[in-house]
Amino acid sequence: MAQMTLRERFWNRFTGKDVDMTPVGSTTTYGVVDLMKKCGHERPLADRDPVAMTELGIAGHKYAGFEWVKAMGWDITILSEAFGCELGPAQIDIQHFIKCHPYAEGIEKLEFPSDFLERGRFSVYKENYRLLKEKVGNKLIIFGHTEGAFTCAANLVGVEQFMRWCFKEPGKVEKTLEVTKEAAIAAANFAFDNGTDYFLFGEPTAGPALLSPRFFKKFVEPVEKEIVSRIKGPVVIHICGNTDPIIEMMCDTGVVGISIEEKTDMKKAVEIAHEKGVKVFGNVATATTLFQGTPEEAYKESIQALENGTDFLCPGCGIAPRSPLENIVQLKKARDDYFRPAG
Amino acid sequence: MASEDRTQEIMNELRNAVVNYDEDKVVEWSNIAIDEGVDPFVATIDGLADGMIEVGDLYNKKEYFVPELLMCSDALYAGLDILKPAIEASGRKPEAKGSIVLGVVEGDVHDIGKNLIKMMFEVAGWTVYDLGKDVPLEKFLEEQLRTDCDIVGLSALMTTSMVSMPEIIKKLKEKNPNVRIMLGGAPITPEVVEKYGADGFAQSAGTAVDEAIRLIKMLKEEEMGK
Repeated sequence: MAQMTLRERFWNRFTGKDVDMTPVGSTTTYGVVDLMKKCGHERPLADRDPVAMTELGIAGHKYAGFEWVKAMGWDITILSEAFGCELGPAQIDIQHFIKCHPYAEGIEKLEFPSDFLERGRFSVYKENYRLLKEKVGNKLIIFGHTEGAFTCAANLVGVEQFMRWCFKEPGKVEKTLEVTKEAAIAAANFAFDNGTDYFLFGEPTAGPALLSPRFFKKFVEPVEKEIVSRIKGPVVIHICGNTDPIIEMMCDTGVVGISIEEKTDMKKAVEIAHEKGVKVFGNVATATTLFQGTPEEAYKESIQALENGTDFLCPGCGIAPRSPLENIVQLKKARDDYFRPAG
Repeated sequence: MASEDRTQEIMNELRNAVVNYDEDKVVEWSNIAIDEGVDPFVATIDGLADGMIEVGDLYNKKEYFVPELLMCSDALYAGLDILKPAIEASGRKPEAKGSIVLGVVEGDVHDIGKNLIKMMFEVAGWTVYDLGKDVPLEKFLEEQLRTDCDIVGLSALMTTSMVSMPEIIKKLKEKNPNVRIMLGGAPITPEVVEKYGADGFAQSAGTAVDEAIRLIKMLKEEEMGK
């Protein structure tokens, strides 16, 4: 098959058509210090300045070989920040993080504010999309990314309390999710209005490392289903940890793709997902391999992910800021070698 | 004074109430234990703590998840609130099995794992010095020297905060070569433990105490061999 453009390669795979080779990139965050140094745009500026944010996004393509680029910054506190969560300060190698939970005392006053998209960093993202479209939009797929409704809800009231509510106060869980669901839909539709090609929700708090599959079924799946049905374009969901027990439910939310870590069985995930027409992103280990491992290990794991049938060769989670670029470039190198014609 | 059979029944009820995260039942049976003259220390160990050990097993078998652990922990502490004052009033001072300084390292605010591990140590009769989250490196050192604890437990969820661990470990070992260091958190693996010069790995709340006991035994064997 003739070599495809990068947009074609991604989009064909995304929509179930033939491709010349598996696309390689990152569908999770890649605010990596080595990339910042290469492009000269560092965090924390790249968290709040649209030019720096855009340049770092493009650096993933230029220096790491990623075949699509990320919009909307490098952390997953976007919705929570717009709801009033105080954030811990970002540094070159530290992402913004949730510092306090504004609704820990009660959710009586929690509502979806009509000016939600004027809050937080949405104006920065608007410009970030404009710049990305202008610079690489005709050549590369662009995706945006926020925390999902469940993770946002847990940020607003505190993770431990939210987990307890799953048992003791299910009505409060549902009420909080009703509000954060609207925020998730608004943020994704904002991204599509501004030119995103697909949108990713990161739901670290909804995975089996914290939440049982039973509660995923009860609280997360119905909300994600509604969210996906009300969004203008294709959605991918990322959940950290070993998601073996919830792969089917992740697929049943109506998403086009799921993004999984190395702790999840890629072969089985692909089998389940493909039966449902869902694509799989992943799953080179971030903490152990890309961050602490060697280039050889990163290369080997990339080949393994391809062998196991990944649809998009990606890191399994957000890339740790201090991961060496030398490790990250192994994804593309392995993909190129894997698809190199024999002889 | 409760008969042996009745005592056994009370223990079973306490144990099951913790496993079924039934806080009301734990309170009810803790009060019954005291009213009927059951040794509150025995009720704590053979009732509540036994229940929590089963909870740890259920967690390791992936039948229970974090929300269940939190609920069981609430039930356990509800019982301890009643039984602990009774133990103190009896003048009996149970011998601590060991002591541990615990904390989430600087730059990291994710403390659910650390809190669950703290609870398991408390249940197992250890003295726990909890430094909380986002703990500066020097604080671990100060607290170890102040308490002369057997083990220091360092937790990190973020790779960014985890990289500061080797420095703390080095300083702790310099000051006190006998202290054992246990690491925990999502990015921690046995390889990381070895690379960082730590001694043990708390894979989960359920296995942390077993690992701690292994570390202490190791230390004792080393001392006997000298």
